[in-house]
Amino acid sequence: MAPPRALSEFVAEANEVLETLAHDVAVLDAQRGREPEPDLLNAIFRAAHSLKGLSAMFGQERISALAHHLEDVLDALRLGKVLASDALLDAILEGVDVLTLMLREAAGAAPSDDTARRVVALTESFVRLASGGQQTAVDVLDEVGLDPAIRSVFTEYEEHRLRENVKKGVALWKVRAVFSLEDFDQRLAGLNATLKPLGEVISTLPSSQPGDETSIAFDLIFGSSRPQHEIETAVQTMATVQPLTQKPVRPRLVVEPEPEAPRTRPAPRPPVFASDVSSPELTPLGSSSPSGVMQGAEPSLRSLAQTVRVDIARLDGLMNVIGELLTVRANIHRLAEVARQAGATPLPKLWGQELQKEARALERKLDELQAGVLDVRMVPLGQVFDKLARLMRRLVRQSGKDVHFEVSGGDVELDKLIVEELSDPLMHLLRNALDHGVEPPDKRIAQGKDARGLIRLKAQQLGNQVQIEVGDDGAGMDEGRIKQVAIERGLVTRELTDELERRDLLNLVFLPGFSTRKDVSELSGRGVGLDVVKTNLARLSGLIDIDSRRGEGTTFMLTLPLTLAIIRALIVGVADRTFAVPLNSVTEIVAVKPAELRTIERREVIEVRGQTLPFLRLSRIFGLQELPVERHFVVVIGLAQERLGLAVDALLGQEDIVTKPLGGRLKGVPGIAGATELGDRRAVLVLDVAALVEELKRPPAAVG
Amino acid sequence: MPSNRFEAQLTRFFYRPDEDVGAWLELAPEIAEAGESIEELPEEFLAFELGAEVYAVPIGAVREILKVPAITGVPRVAEHVLGVMNVRGEMLPVYDLKQRLRLVEVPQRVTGPTDVPRESRVVLLKDPEGDAGILVDRVQGVVRLPLSKLEPAPNLGGDRRAVAGLGRAGGNLYILLDVEAALA
Repeated sequence: MAPPRALSEFVAEANEVLETLAHDVAVLDAQRGREPEPDLLNAIFRAAHSLKGLSAMFGQERISALAHHLEDVLDALRLGKVLASDALLDAILEGVDVLTLMLREAAGAAPSDDTARRVVALTESFVRLASGGQQTAVDVLDEVGLDPAIRSVFTEYEEHRLRENVKKGVALWKVRAVFSLEDFDQRLAGLNATLKPLGEVISTLPSSQPGDETSIAFDLIFGSSRPQHEIETAVQTMATVQPLTQKPVRPRLVVEPEPEAPRTRPAPRPPVFASDVSSPELTPLGSSSPSGVMQGAEPSLRSLAQTVRVDIARLDGLMNVIGELLTVRANIHRLAEVARQAGATPLPKLWGQELQKEARALERKLDELQAGVLDVRMVPLGQVFDKLARLMRRLVRQSGKDVHFEVSGGDVELDKLIVEELSDPLMHLLRNALDHGVEPPDKRIAQGKDARGLIRLKAQQLGNQVQIEVGDDGAGMDEGRIKQVAIERGLVTRELTDELERRDLLNLVFLPGFSTRKDVSELSGRGVGLDVVKTNLARLSGLIDIDSRRGEGTTFMLTLPLTLAIIRALIVGVADRTFAVPLNSVTEIVAVKPAELRTIERREVIEVRGQTLPFLRLSRIFGLQELPVERHFVVVIGLAQERLGLAVDALLGQEDIVTKPLGGRLKGVPGIAGATELGDRRAVLVLDVAALVEELKRPPAAVG
Repeated sequence: MPSNRFEAQLTRFFYRPDEDVGAWLELAPEIAEAGESIEELPEEFLAFELGAEVYAVPIGAVREILKVPAITGVPRVAEHVLGVMNVRGEMLPVYDLKQRLRLVEVPQRVTGPTDVPRESRVVLLKDPEGDAGILVDRVQGVVRLPLSKLEPAPNLGGDRRAVAGLGRAGGNLYILLDVEAALA
């Protein structure tokens, strides 16, 4: 049963907060060993805080309580009371996972004892960690002689930042600015932006020496190691600069290992989807101490919410199009009225022209509207890649292997539906790469490879399709073993395997019931094989292929359509039936005379521009009547690197279609993706091109 | 209009999501109602003819009765599946029950209203596995069959799993259809 709406709204909202939190924690984790960025810590603190408030508001006491403890730890961390130790970071990471599990349970998943145990253990470690620190023995702020009057107005956090700056030998300045009341907010923001590259704006205080009636003065407390004249040059006439402390701040000899003294702080991360982890840089993984926090089984990475965050500008765009459509409607009404009043008298020629003009405008606007709505459905793959990066970081740590996880192409956009459905297959492939692909360090060194393995996750858009690669530089697949296992399990016959090409052999791993690893590991396995990955992808009209070289690694290539929502389709006739073929997989259409057909091993082939393609008669595949024809229309299908020619009797045109699934009981008819309605409201079947290509590729023994 | 637009802007400006509880209050009754769906006593049945026999299904299992629409044949499915029909944008399968229940030897091919007698209808049945239509020769109407007088299906041999029992009313015999089994 679906959760009631209030609950589902909560889940959607909490999920969003949790995703932001998880993303930031992942960045924090990647910076392990360095002093955490204050901006980042603040963002994480705020997310934990909102989660606490949100869950309390909806009576989710468990989540609220844990978020509260997490908030305490983060607060202590941000105030410098505790250090960002490995234990602390591990606890925060665990916290994100446990909160996700709890949210899943709140959304209707069965509560598990494991989660309850983890919550208890985590609450204890949060409490311990939050109280673990002690105050600095000597207050450095006293040493530099800060005016107590100024000091009293600072918050605990600001004081902590002052202290941190002094400890690092960064001088403190008071930057005084007077702005007109009319535009002070903009000018203050401008001043902040100017100062930021030079140091840290610790606090903005209304000035103790107020300006006149039409202006307002501010004191910006600013920490910077640049000399006074440099700051003065930067702010020019905007403000005056004075030292804040009576005694100069001297660089101390014993400070934290912090190489860059003037720290330039990056602007805060834009809240939506911008992702550090999905940038093409390498994200270092592993080599940190093994985590002491216990881990349970991996939950699905699918997000809990069925919502899409939309940039308001996109919606405004849609609204504009609708506004224009309303004008078209008004014009059509007017023309209709003219026609009505004309009665039996013939309408002027101009009337017809105008109607045609409006019809064209309507068509154009509808196209825009459609494109706009599709656009709204598109989300960056980075959403899933972020989660995967987080998961991989942890899995790598658990596995004891040393692995680089390289992510790129997170900005490629795909339909929300596809992105969601992708997370589980990708997780599976990545775990496979870590578990079966990359060898342990000693083995790698023995083979003359770099001890540190590499796992790649890469996405790129190719026309109407998106290609995602999951690759490793590990041991590669052993065809010999694949062959042996496939025969042992009775999936293929020995004679057949002798005929199969290397690539077809590799593709045997996608057959149900195939798994080469004898010991089922903690990380992957569990009886779920690559066949599930393949089925999941097929549901998205996607294809998967393998490239693997012994000793060099394995790459899985996933090819997916950009969207499943509205697609352009070629309408074809076969016997007396009509079918729709998604155009994104059609590369060209050719006409072939029956005499031009050849056979190879009794399978029909055609030649298109020097390339020999399998020739499939749709009528034969679907058991329909085969009409005698003078020439076949051949729709050439191209999906990933697979190509085949599909013979049809007639080409009936192109349409934009929305594919709807066949009602429950007819789900999964091989070769049929669903149905759509054309102008006459009759249902027209939409071909599942990927499935047809698959059928052709499948080793004959596995059929049926 | 202009004042309206101004108002909208103001509202947007002052809108505080935290303060807005109106939406939640509206939702509250929905939660309370969720539990109390009333189970209908299955004593009213829809009776329809298949050939010379009269069948009946609980009225609660019927979603709607349709005039025979255009039906698109689907390849690679069982013979008793006539195809899919478009019911206001939903693509639903249509079953040939006469074929399924072996009431006829030769499967008929139905692609639309012109292939069947005028009295034929498609009865759209609700089913957890997905709603589906069955083609019937004529819909008789609603009959009340006292639950206490329902008989179990007699064993006449053959595959008659789709028969859930028999009911009698006014001297007529109604064969009660097990919807799930009939569509399997």
